[in-house]
Amino acid sequence: MAVYKRGYQRYQGELTGRWTRFLALPRFVWPRLIEQRLILIVLIVSLFWPLACVAFIYVANHSELWSGLDNDFAQFLQIDGRFFRYFMDTQAVMAVILAALAGPGLIAPDLANNGLPLYFSRPLSRLDYVLARMFTLVAMLALVTLLPALLLFAMQGGLAGFDWLWKNLRLPVGVLAGFAMHILLVSMVALACSAWVKWRTIAGALVVGFFFILAGASELLNNVLDVTWGVLFNPARALYTVWSAMLGVEAGEGPGAWACGAALLVMAALVALVLEKKLRPVEVVS
Amino acid sequence: MPPVIELDDLRVRLGRREVLKGLSCRLGASGAGKAIGLLGPNGAGKSTLIQTLLGFHKPSGGGARVLGFDCRTQPREVKARIGYMPENETLIANVTAVSFLRLMGELSGLPGEAALEKAHETLFHVGLGEARYRTLGTYSLGMKQMAKLAQAIIHGPDLVILDEPTNGLDPAARRRMLTLIREMKQDHGMNVVLCSHLLRDVEETCDEAVILKDGQIVHHADLEAERRSNRRFVELEVAGDDAALAPALQESGVESVREGEGRWRMVLPPGVEIGTLWQIVARLDLRVHKLTHRRDTLEEIFMKAVGHLPAGGPAPDQPEEVAADGRL
Repeated sequence: MAVYKRGYQRYQGELTGRWTRFLALPRFVWPRLIEQRLILIVLIVSLFWPLACVAFIYVANHSELWSGLDNDFAQFLQIDGRFFRYFMDTQAVMAVILAALAGPGLIAPDLANNGLPLYFSRPLSRLDYVLARMFTLVAMLALVTLLPALLLFAMQGGLAGFDWLWKNLRLPVGVLAGFAMHILLVSMVALACSAWVKWRTIAGALVVGFFFILAGASELLNNVLDVTWGVLFNPARALYTVWSAMLGVEAGEGPGAWACGAALLVMAALVALVLEKKLRPVEVVS
Repeated sequence: MPPVIELDDLRVRLGRREVLKGLSCRLGASGAGKAIGLLGPNGAGKSTLIQTLLGFHKPSGGGARVLGFDCRTQPREVKARIGYMPENETLIANVTAVSFLRLMGELSGLPGEAALEKAHETLFHVGLGEARYRTLGTYSLGMKQMAKLAQAIIHGPDLVILDEPTNGLDPAARRRMLTLIREMKQDHGMNVVLCSHLLRDVEETCDEAVILKDGQIVHHADLEAERRSNRRFVELEVAGDDAALAPALQESGVESVREGEGRWRMVLPPGVEIGTLWQIVARLDLRVHKLTHRRDTLEEIFMKAVGHLPAGGPAPDQPEEVAADGRL
């Protein structure tokens, strides 16, 4: 029977699982994000570098293509931890841009429209809400970071053979853990900015600003005080150090991976605190 | 059957201020399709009480149970059974009504397909069927109110909490909203908590009313019993020898009191009409100077409860005989 003829009846059927219910939010948001032309363009552009890396791996594994060239070039064509760190550096920047575009549209409209009471009056906790919003971003960022990285590793493993695979088993673990840290931090920063500022454009600028301004501030600190621990305030540099340790590559001067990891944890905790303060169904004025 | 709402010395503190100061009551019976009115002047704590029931505020003392579930320890169980229509504008502007309702349905636990079906069904039910593919930002205030109601009932909750549902509605839309509220309880067995400043809305739809003032319950009226009693209050002024009036009235089952020379106040029980009074007065050969009759209104109960009318003494422009419980 047509809906308009049937009339309203209370729903009496089966309910979905308590722990999967929050996935309705990402399912609802993804099509709307992809509809935004700028996000779609950045998503496509984000795949250029992985494609270039595919070509690089192909060339590196076909020595007949560069057999006449000198030894330095052969050295350059090594697929190792350094190669994956370069890959991660570039994709991390793309992920930040993508988060700056997609993140502010996730929470800011709900706050601007006072929509949170509608969510929180349902069997959805604040943690569920944040996880749902984060899952939206994490899945999108994983598309341009984790997924291509693992595909590159699989391709290199397939072309180079079992020996290479066995010797470089730490690479997929490092890439997976490194990108996971990055994606989580970027997503949390994007959500916190979205929760802090109701205007999407400003929230987007804040996301980019978080990484660039802190990078500038940490450099200033290092130069003025003539120290190296300023990098602990630079999330991008701290991540670089942690990634390098995970991939077994030299990271350069400055605090070690553990110190950088701790600094990143503190940043994540501060961002979580912002989310905790801002995401309330009703504002209490005492 | 557990009560719809059970408050046990409920205290809520927001910042340094205690907003709810030890509320205790049992309201409604679950599954019975009862409507409870929540009344009170601004700042009385109505919204805080609703928000506490929804788990937005933690009680600082005492407890609250909704449909038998504790608001503090079982918030998910409580929220799964509640539909909430907030007072403020809360709709996401750039989304169609169908998409919005489907999302709300899914978040309440409906499977995707069922949520979509219910979204259409509910929008037709509240009168937004033709506008269901329009974005919510293009809706008028009245349509937004209906959309808010639709999102509150899409999952068929046991209890619907409506915060000022007739705000900003024109008379026709207000009537439609009140009809929908009555249908929710009568046809669909939902319990309703209606928070409104418009006493007439509460009077027309609710079975019970709780009046809050300064974070305390100052009155709990059983409107259904009031309506059932169907009592009418009569003020009569006659000239002539009225000594025989009292026994004559008593014979007809009319409670009465003589207040002065020829001035009488009385309560007509169900079944006794004004015509009976006229007959008695005519039989006793009395001349009627004044006869007024009316029912006790919620407004009077409210005004007395919040202290704008004295509970015992006379009030300007109001008959003095009517106490909050309707007795002389």
